[in-house]
Amino acid sequence: MIFITHKHCTKPPIQRLCLTCIYKERDFYDSLLFFATFFFPPLIFIFTIFRFTKREKMRGRGAKIAGVLPFFTLFMAGAISAFEDIERLRIWPLPAEVSHGGRRMYLSGDFKLVTEGSKYEDTTEILKEGFDRMLDVVRLSHVVSGGRNSSRSGGSALLQGLHVIISSSTDELEYGADESYKLVVPSPEKPSYAHLETKSVYGALHGLQTLSQLCHFNVKKKIIEILMTPWNITDQPRFSYRGLLIDTSRHYLPLPVIKNVIDSMTYAKLNVLHWHIVDTQSFPLEIPSYPKLWNGAYSSSQRYTFDDAAEIVKYAERRGIHVLAEIDVPGHALSWGKGYPSLWPSKNCQEPLDVSSNFTFKVIDGILSDFSKIFKFKFVHLGGDEVNTTCWSATPRIAQWLKKHQMSEEEAYQYFVLRAQKIALSHGYEIINWEETFNNFGSKLNPKTVVHNWLGTGVVERVTASGLRCIVSNQDKWYLDHIDAPWQGFYDNEPLQAIKDKKQQSLVLGGEVCMWGEHIDASDIEQTIWPRAAAAAERLWTPYAKLATNPDKVTTRLAHFRCLLNQRGVAAAPLVGGGRVVPLEPGSCLAQ
Amino acid sequence: MSPNRNLLLLLLMFLSLSITSSLSSPSPADSPPYLWPLPAEFSFGNETLSVDPAVALIAAGDGGGSPIVRAAFERYMGMIFKHASGRASLLARIRFLRMVEYDITSLKIVVHSGSAELQLGVDESYTLMVSKKDEQSIVGAVTIEANTIYGALRGLETFSQLCAFDYLTKSVQIYKAPWYIQDKPRFQYRGLLIDTSRHYLPIDVIKQIIESMSFAKLNVLHWHIVDEQSFPLETPTYPNLWKGAYSRWERYTVEDASEIVRFAKMRGINVMPEVDVPGHAESWGTGYPDLWPSLSCREPLDVTKNFTFDVISGILADMRKIFPFELFHLGGDEVNTDCWKNTTHVKEWLQGRNFTTKDAYKYFVLRAQQIAISKNWTPVNWEETFSSFGKYLDPRTVVHNWLVSDICQKAVAKGFRCIFSNQGYWYLDHLDVPWDEVYNTEPLHGINETSQQKLVIGGEVCMWGETADTSVVLQTIWPRAAAAAERMWSTREAVSKGNITLTALPRLHYFRCLLNNRGVPAAPVDNFYARRPPSGPGSCYAQ
Repeated sequence: MIFITHKHCTKPPIQRLCLTCIYKERDFYDSLLFFATFFFPPLIFIFTIFRFTKREKMRGRGAKIAGVLPFFTLFMAGAISAFEDIERLRIWPLPAEVSHGGRRMYLSGDFKLVTEGSKYEDTTEILKEGFDRMLDVVRLSHVVSGGRNSSRSGGSALLQGLHVIISSSTDELEYGADESYKLVVPSPEKPSYAHLETKSVYGALHGLQTLSQLCHFNVKKKIIEILMTPWNITDQPRFSYRGLLIDTSRHYLPLPVIKNVIDSMTYAKLNVLHWHIVDTQSFPLEIPSYPKLWNGAYSSSQRYTFDDAAEIVKYAERRGIHVLAEIDVPGHALSWGKGYPSLWPSKNCQEPLDVSSNFTFKVIDGILSDFSKIFKFKFVHLGGDEVNTTCWSATPRIAQWLKKHQMSEEEAYQYFVLRAQKIALSHGYEIINWEETFNNFGSKLNPKTVVHNWLGTGVVERVTASGLRCIVSNQDKWYLDHIDAPWQGFYDNEPLQAIKDKKQQSLVLGGEVCMWGEHIDASDIEQTIWPRAAAAAERLWTPYAKLATNPDKVTTRLAHFRCLLNQRGVAAAPLVGGGRVVPLEPGSCLAQ
Repeated sequence: MSPNRNLLLLLLMFLSLSITSSLSSPSPADSPPYLWPLPAEFSFGNETLSVDPAVALIAAGDGGGSPIVRAAFERYMGMIFKHASGRASLLARIRFLRMVEYDITSLKIVVHSGSAELQLGVDESYTLMVSKKDEQSIVGAVTIEANTIYGALRGLETFSQLCAFDYLTKSVQIYKAPWYIQDKPRFQYRGLLIDTSRHYLPIDVIKQIIESMSFAKLNVLHWHIVDEQSFPLETPTYPNLWKGAYSRWERYTVEDASEIVRFAKMRGINVMPEVDVPGHAESWGTGYPDLWPSLSCREPLDVTKNFTFDVISGILADMRKIFPFELFHLGGDEVNTDCWKNTTHVKEWLQGRNFTTKDAYKYFVLRAQQIAISKNWTPVNWEETFSSFGKYLDPRTVVHNWLVSDICQKAVAKGFRCIFSNQGYWYLDHLDVPWDEVYNTEPLHGINETSQQKLVIGGEVCMWGETADTSVVLQTIWPRAAAAAERMWSTREAVSKGNITLTALPRLHYFRCLLNNRGVPAAPVDNFYARRPPSGPGSCYAQ
């Protein structure tokens, strides 16, 4: 296969491939457009217009001018930086390795999924559904004509389908498992099938996402096209944990809204939905072991049944996304007491949970026991942040208990967190806790603890130095509810900043952007998450060396991804400004 | 029970509810379901009925078997039984062989007319009866009866609003049964304008908007396709026109537009296209610069050239194949004729005909009207055409109000039909108009004669697109468009009497949450400014 042979090229193989295509195709204006992009970006626009108006007439002349092109391109080759070329690819997040040519191909009207030679059986149709979803978002609701009509598709160059070969037979979604894929779209001489090779079906889903971004709807021919073929992409994530937090306690999020969020996450290759289910304000989830807990819901209808939660987990897992459930104890749990008031220190001092009562830990045990039936992710999040312990001292019964056990308020906090950890471990979970637990009694934490950073800098270094694992969510950069935080900051936030030691680096599992819900409900969640979460998603996916040192360099590509989200029905906000900005004036999506 | 007594009863219930609502959020069990828009006549009882997740559709009448009815039934079943438990109990039922007995196991839809024609004034009335099947009741289960399939669709929407998922029994329940509802719209034209020129709206987003319109029983999507900023639609007769699109990706093919029309029809919604001539058409010249008076003075369209009218005729011929609705909007607003005065060849042409610029404006609009009429279309024009040269307008013209509050009054006095869109209240891009002002705006204000009232065919809320793109369009439309939707659907008495904080607000809160539950990002009701985030944590029903 010809594209493999470019591996040994010292120069980026991209230009060479394109030279080939110029000779063969003599698609002069396409090529000129291609080179103009390196040369002087504003020229793109001029050439684009020129190309569209003159294209048919100029074909003949283009063939003549093609004779001088080799000199031109030779001259250019030295000046082109590979980086700017990558920016033209319009793939988000950027794959680890990409090469491409300059030829155009079309998708057949009955573009097929073929799995011959694959060890994976797809009995649960995870792959088939992923393939169908890919075609749906590629068609973008456009009415697509057949593509079998050779006069429309320009004769040959018709891709018949995608051949997927998966070497692992399991469809178990395992954390840390191989998510890599290799995607090959052939050149027009050898059309037939595109190829996708992966270890697991979940890697294949990522490959399908990438393929969907290579496809465009050609409004003139009304068929799906892939430009710049052949493509050869080898890809895998930099971090295994790429999360997004949603908060269903401050505002209830209806099921279709959560599903939309999950779908949008797949477009950016995020893989963990951190579900902050419960907090001070409301307790929306059914807990069969303690059925009064969801009396703490905002209303009788702002609730999730146990089956609803199972359905969300299943929906996410079939898209390669883990669901991390959180109960935030003991500090963010006031709503628990609506159903069981004895969990409060007292009627007028309702938070944190009563540390002195065994019943408190029985309820936690019941919740985690129920969780273990539906939340199959290896981690559970136990919170542990912002614990104001004054209610404990202020309540005589608890003050006495503290005295009896010779505990200070701080020690009681530690006692609570560690006891909750043990309960989680007994249900087979590894634990994630917010960083205050580490900051206060880090050496006492169970070694299986993952510390979730949010407050300050320097925590990641200290956590990994102590041998614990870490997730990065520093609030100044990665809290989506900080509306004044621009996307550039989301892009720039490097989880391994100042961590030089390889072993310590490997303890940073990844990062997470947090969509806290105080001012977020079904009406504004999508535009507050997107496009800023996408900026972080590339930081978490793409190899460090390929990331832009100046985020502004990726603006055009991110704007394109934002428009892609819009086309897919996701209400991603404009880029200009902070989060959730509205367009200030009429204009193209690509320019806002 | 008389409808008035029902209303009184309902009012009392809202009153009692509002007292308790500060303590707890609405619980469906002890309050009547919150229907929006309020049906014309209804009565209800005190029973609670459970609905079978496998409820069967029994179609009857000439139109009962229509695929539009079948598709709508499937859609609504998906919405009503969206909780996972619905399916679980279905499984349980199969397992225990009818261990679970449901009160409602079938939904009968009787449609008298077999016609699928959707035009202005199509009969949208329906009756909806919900009762337990027993020896005493003549009608069992649920029956929707309508003259047309579109009436049946309205009935299905109302039925879906009666159904509530009960979290304790994990089944869908209908409270306050038996229900008897007899309903019809007050106005035949209940519109929403979208603007795909200032910002391109992807097809999927337009479909989301159409789907959400059907929840509020709106029935006309006014598609302001083109304006000065961009020309996104393909017109095969003049293929360079969509060069005026923002980009290659921000375009609609002819097939896309047809698909939107089909999608809307499936929901009983007409699509009225607009080409706004001659004042809002600069983007046309990107593909055909001859349409501009000159390269430096590009608007309005060149009135002197036959080519201008050839292009209009070509566009309308192409659009006629896509849009079967009888109304076509020709715009005609905000025409600044300076370019005509300042361009030599246009100026000479005016002088040659002894035209003022105002004469030329009239000439343009009337000629465009004749083109539309020749294509079997009824022209709709913005009100400036009426206020500038009303007596010359074709008598079939529908005048579309926006500027002056009493223009419909004047237009109907002259025998024209009128659509009400007073910008002070029904322009959704005006973010400082809270829901109650939208609600209290009355299209028939100041029009007292019945014959003149009939000429006001309805109203329309306008979502102009300067600052509304995919990311904010739905939350700018909702929930305020719903306030206007009830004004246009429900009886004038129902929406005009009493304290709307008691009669309407709790139901609007509920409807906004219903939209959210169906995935529509309707913004909080209580914020003064539209599309702002919720002010703090809280229940959807209280924001």
